Amino acid sequence: MLLEALDGDGTVVYAAAAASVQVQVEPVGRWLEAYLKRRSRTTSASFQELDEEEVSSEESDDEEFQLEEYLMLRTLDPKDWKNQDHYAVLGLPHLRYKATQRQIKAAHKAIVLKHHPDKRKAAGEQIVEGDNDYFTCITKAIEILSDPVKRRAFDSVDPTFDNAVPSKGEGKENFFDVFVPVFERNARWSSKKHVPKLGTIESSFEEVDNFYSFWYNFDSWREFSYLDEEEKEKAECRDERRWIEKQNRASRAQRKKEEMNRIRTLVDTAYSCDPRIKKFKEEEKARKESEKKAKADAKKREQEEKERARQAELEAARLAKEKEEEEAKLAAQQAKKEKEIQKKAIKKERQKLRTTCKNWNYFAENEADSVKMMEEVEKLCDRLELTSLQSLNEVLASGSKEDSKAAVEKQVQEVNAQLQREKEAEVQARQAARNAEQAIGGGAGGGKGWNEDDLQLLIKAVNLFPAGTNARWEVIANYMNLHSTSQIKRTAKDVINKAKNLQRLDPLQKDEINKKAFEKFKKEHSSVAPSIDNAAPSERFDSAGDSNAAPWTTEEQKLLEQALKTYPVSTPERWEKIAAAVPGRNKKDCMKRYKELVEMVKAKKAAQEQVAAKSKK
Amino acid sequence: MAAIGVHFGYTCACVAVFKDGRADVVANDAGDRVTPAVVGYRDTEQIVGIAAKQGRVRNAANTVVRVKQVLGRSFDDPETQNHKSETKCELVNRGGKAYYEITAGEQSQYVSPEEVAKLIFCKMKETAQSALGSDVNEAVITVPFEFAQTQKRALREAAEAAGLQVLRLIHEPVAALLAYNIEQDCPAGKSHVVVYKLGGTSLSVTVLQVTGGMFRVLNTHTDHNIGGENFTQALAQHLAAEFKRTFKHDVSGNARAMMKLMNGADMAKHSLSSLGSANCFVDSLYDGIDFECNVSRARFELLCSSLFNKSIQPIKNLLEKVNLSTSDINKVILSGGSARIPRLQQMIRDLFSDVELLSSAPTDEVIAVGAALQAGLLVNKENLAPEEESITVDFSAADILVKEVDESGTEMFTVVLPSGTPLPARKHHTLRGGGKLTSLCVEVYQRFVTKQPERLAKIILRDLQSREEDHEVDTMVTMKRDGSVHVSCTERCSGRSEVVTIAAAAAAS
Repeated sequence: MLLEALDGDGTVVYAAAAASVQVQVEPVGRWLEAYLKRRSRTTSASFQELDEEEVSSEESDDEEFQLEEYLMLRTLDPKDWKNQDHYAVLGLPHLRYKATQRQIKAAHKAIVLKHHPDKRKAAGEQIVEGDNDYFTCITKAIEILSDPVKRRAFDSVDPTFDNAVPSKGEGKENFFDVFVPVFERNARWSSKKHVPKLGTIESSFEEVDNFYSFWYNFDSWREFSYLDEEEKEKAECRDERRWIEKQNRASRAQRKKEEMNRIRTLVDTAYSCDPRIKKFKEEEKARKESEKKAKADAKKREQEEKERARQAELEAARLAKEKEEEEAKLAAQQAKKEKEIQKKAIKKERQKLRTTCKNWNYFAENEADSVKMMEEVEKLCDRLELTSLQSLNEVLASGSKEDSKAAVEKQVQEVNAQLQREKEAEVQARQAARNAEQAIGGGAGGGKGWNEDDLQLLIKAVNLFPAGTNARWEVIANYMNLHSTSQIKRTAKDVINKAKNLQRLDPLQKDEINKKAFEKFKKEHSSVAPSIDNAAPSERFDSAGDSNAAPWTTEEQKLLEQALKTYPVSTPERWEKIAAAVPGRNKKDCMKRYKELVEMVKAKKAAQEQVAAKSKK
Repeated sequence: MAAIGVHFGYTCACVAVFKDGRADVVANDAGDRVTPAVVGYRDTEQIVGIAAKQGRVRNAANTVVRVKQVLGRSFDDPETQNHKSETKCELVNRGGKAYYEITAGEQSQYVSPEEVAKLIFCKMKETAQSALGSDVNEAVITVPFEFAQTQKRALREAAEAAGLQVLRLIHEPVAALLAYNIEQDCPAGKSHVVVYKLGGTSLSVTVLQVTGGMFRVLNTHTDHNIGGENFTQALAQHLAAEFKRTFKHDVSGNARAMMKLMNGADMAKHSLSSLGSANCFVDSLYDGIDFECNVSRARFELLCSSLFNKSIQPIKNLLEKVNLSTSDINKVILSGGSARIPRLQQMIRDLFSDVELLSSAPTDEVIAVGAALQAGLLVNKENLAPEEESITVDFSAADILVKEVDESGTEMFTVVLPSGTPLPARKHHTLRGGGKLTSLCVEVYQRFVTKQPERLAKIILRDLQSREEDHEVDTMVTMKRDGSVHVSCTERCSGRSEVVTIAAAAAAS
């Protein structure tokens, strides 16, 4: 008996209930199994009611569920049972594949009670005899639906199932609205339970991935035996049965394939339209890009690092080089200084020698001898090394006139011999060079030798037709062929080769050619007296140095004299300035020329003095 | 669909078949309901069961007994070494695992304990199939509570090698509980059960708590040094002494004679469980002398009294450990062959003076029956629960009560949901109220074991029509897994209803 409520009392909660306790139990017993089942169903059925409760609930379901009267039932043709909707016949069109066996049985029972021929007969209805009565349809329906295999076959081709697959256009617009019902619809064909849901836009990658991998590997129980055109049972013999079986198998396989294609298309379409996939791809792309960028950055950094290292290295190398250069410069300066000192010393010694010789009056009796001796001494001065000069000077200073003379003469002889040797070597070298050149020239000329006349002619022709002449070398070759004394035909190529060779030859050879030409000329014109070649010694010095070997022209001579006058001895960097004043000559040339001139003047003066002294005597 | 339950013990194996809602132990081809777990290797065949046990006298080196002892253990395991010293069959070390060296046939072969177990499982399967007349694969196998994971795995592999589909491994004491359908008797509230198992070579005592039809092992005690064989041994020693006294021959050093005596003593022991005295008869025991001796039950009990005391002692110790007295125990279950001994049963009965002693089923079959019942539950289940040692279940911690008054007007409480109810749970109650009242008050209380009830909520139904008959209030109490309670009351006549939700306190951790 419950108590009466007091006035003013209301429904109220006073305290919190005690929390549940978790206990580890042995995995046995039907209570536990029932409990686990309940827990997995997540419904809170009373634990005490166990299986009985399930039964009762289903029974209550049976009471509740309504059968929908199939209006067309009476007009159905029993022969066409294959095309009837069995669920509709039993009055379960709203439950269809979800209907339980129990419900089907109950529905059948209800419908049989109403439509059994005996019942109708009792109600005074007209009954069609035999199998032609529409009641056969009900029998067929229960036959199909009560057998799990047959029912599955019928469910597979459920006429109310929408096989449609949304197009990409539809899917793009509102993906979830379009695809969620489609996937839910198709999930009923899955052999596996717990079909993953399409999810929402927020679904994680795993969920989406799981969803698509499930649907790409969709395992469907749908089969199409219900649509078999031939019935195996109707066959009369084994062969026919086999044939029918084969036919059916082929068509089933075909349909199954189409079905799988349909699912595949559906999933493909969904996949291509899925905004989440797009999102994931973009994310992936972004991730990759960032990774790439990071990589590139790292690389760049590395490169910069390298560059810096290289710069540092270069800097170090440069510094080292600068230092080296500095040192070299210092060394060079040192060397120069030493050289200058040496030069000064040698100059001094030379002067000494000269003065000594002069004091001794060049050990000569007469003027001619003294001139000759003077030349020899000059030669000595030029040729001898500092040490030998010093020793010679010592001998000269200490010894008597005869001793000195002997020493000087000995030195002179030595120097002359040396000069001779040098000359010979030079001649030999020149010979060898000429030979080599001739060999080259011979090769180039294709065996056609170039004699002196031809060379002369060539030089003449080259000068006659300067560069820029139209078809110059042809013209030269023609000219050569016309005027040559040797009967060799020369082509432009030969000519050009020879000319180039000549150009390459050192100026000495040109000189030689010129000289030879001159000698020839002399021979030809013997009336002209042979002139003394004064230039011979100077020519040798010229050739030894790298300075301009060409003899001094009168113009240059004049300019030099002018310059010498303009820049007196006190002028700083006198010789540079002089050299600048004489175009085509450098400082060394000018100094050399000046010395020569001085010597010559001196010699002249000495000779004149001697002549004057003689005449006085 | 049939399924089997197999109890694979140290000395014996037993199989029960679940069919048509019943679990029955089936007899093997020799007509015995229990098959000795003995495998004998011969030149051409392997024999399992009683034939192998009897043949052991002549073929001790090639007969494997108590294979369960080494199953799933490494060679270095002390248990394995212990087994090695006891058994006559050569045990060798191969790759850390123990193998039996069988010298029958032309050359010696090495047999793993798993293969021996497989043969026994094969035998059990055949036995079940011959009784059923059809193929059966699904099986539930029992394991001792102290079995380690590797041992369980070895047992499962052996069973699977024999072609059985192991639905689940369950513990032996729990199987015994299932066999007696303990959970059905006390679906609500807590009760405590002691399972006493005295097998061939081992003793195990387990205390379990039964809550809402589910079992929880509180504590267990296992002793491998006491069992039926010790009793047989004691009896055999006595027989040998008798033989010596009569014929002046000492047979205790003769292994074969002792084995014969053991077999004789074993049979005498079995007889003494039902008879007052047994005749022990061994032909040609020693030197062609036949031995015959009559042993009374009193003599046997006297011989084994110290052993009996030793087997009873652990019960008291165990109860002390779990803080329970003998009066807290609601039921005691006896299992294992040796629990048949009348003296032992008497001793246990003395210990638990007013407790029901469950020994109606043959004690050595009880576990197999329980396993078969469990197999029947599991067979044809689509998705079996994952193989777990135990399952965690939420239980309600307190009783949920409704306050009422009895005819005399004194307050009383009606239990709606007892504590220890597995959650989630829903319970429907019809409460009554005086017909003249226009308003009713449903007060919900909770109560811990001994404490005073604590008021949780009050539900008021007003504006009821006053009438002659009582008001009937349909009350639906729903408790969720976290312990929160939802109560809905509907007055049946007027359809007036009130709903209240009581949140759960934070879980005490």
